[in-house]
Amino acid sequence: MNQPMRQPSGHDFDQDLARALVSGRDVPCPGFTERAVRAIGVDRRRRTLLRWGSGVTTAAACFLAVFVLQGRGDDSLAQRADALAASDESRQLSDILGFADELSLLTPAIDPHSVVEALINPEL
Amino acid sequence: MSPEELPPPEDEEDKRLMALVASGDDDALRLLVHRHHVRLVGYLRSEVGSQTTAEELAMEVFIRLHRAAGRWRPEAKLTTYLIHIAHNLVLNEWRRRGRKPTTALDSAPEPGDLSHDSARRVNELDEAFRQAVALLPAEQRTAILLLVQQEMPYEEIAAVMEAPVSSVKTWIHRARTRLRELLKDHYDPA
Repeated sequence: MNQPMRQPSGHDFDQDLARALVSGRDVPCPGFTERAVRAIGVDRRRRTLLRWGSGVTTAAACFLAVFVLQGRGDDSLAQRADALAASDESRQLSDILGFADELSLLTPAIDPHSVVEALINPEL
Repeated sequence: MSPEELPPPEDEEDKRLMALVASGDDDALRLLVHRHHVRLVGYLRSEVGSQTTAEELAMEVFIRLHRAAGRWRPEAKLTTYLIHIAHNLVLNEWRRRGRKPTTALDSAPEPGDLSHDSARRVNELDEAFRQAVALLPAEQRTAILLLVQQEMPYEEIAAVMEAPVSSVKTWIHRARTRLRELLKDHYDPA
């Protein structure tokens, strides 16, 4: 480019510098545009896949978190219920048996159900 | 020709194309790459000294431009934005290599007519200049390339290099001084 200006000045440093650098400014690259557009297309598809992958991973993490939290809630509730039931039952049995111990009528009784039946049945 | 029929200025055309690229228009993308790649590769080649690396980096510049198309605001010229991305990639390339390129450039483009002595002398002098520029420290080389080769004003060079204008002026002054030293044999009075 600028062929008419391509003369060695031999004395004008700035002119020679400009000519030397400007001559390397526009570098033809055959096929570059198509290669670049293809590379951009590949990058676009890769980013789309990454976005989908990221969405799926996030959704899976959410489901897992909900599942774990729910499971942990059930466990603790069940444990508490078991403990309560056990303590209540033992106290109840102990009370009943203790009360029953004072009744000579029920002394041989071992089964708590028979104790309860004995207590609520006025005929016994 | 009426004013309505005049082609839009380059900057306006770039803005229009970028808006189309942001909306997914591949034809606009192709046109944008076609408009800017020659000069971009020329700048990168002057920076890194290799045609292959320059094309790879230019490809990456356009990929990044495409990613940013939706967020791009036309506050600066697109050419300045492209050179800014390119400059950052050049810095990354130097870090990756662990040093700045100080080797001579690939063989330069052929001039029109080598049969004349004057053309041969021009070629030799041009090559001497390009090799001398390649020997400059990084900031000085970038600043002189953007000023002389890309014909950018100081303010745009400062924006590209993320430096004050005063620093840009200092780098350019030092670059000229250093180039005069390196090329003094071509200018000594015989």
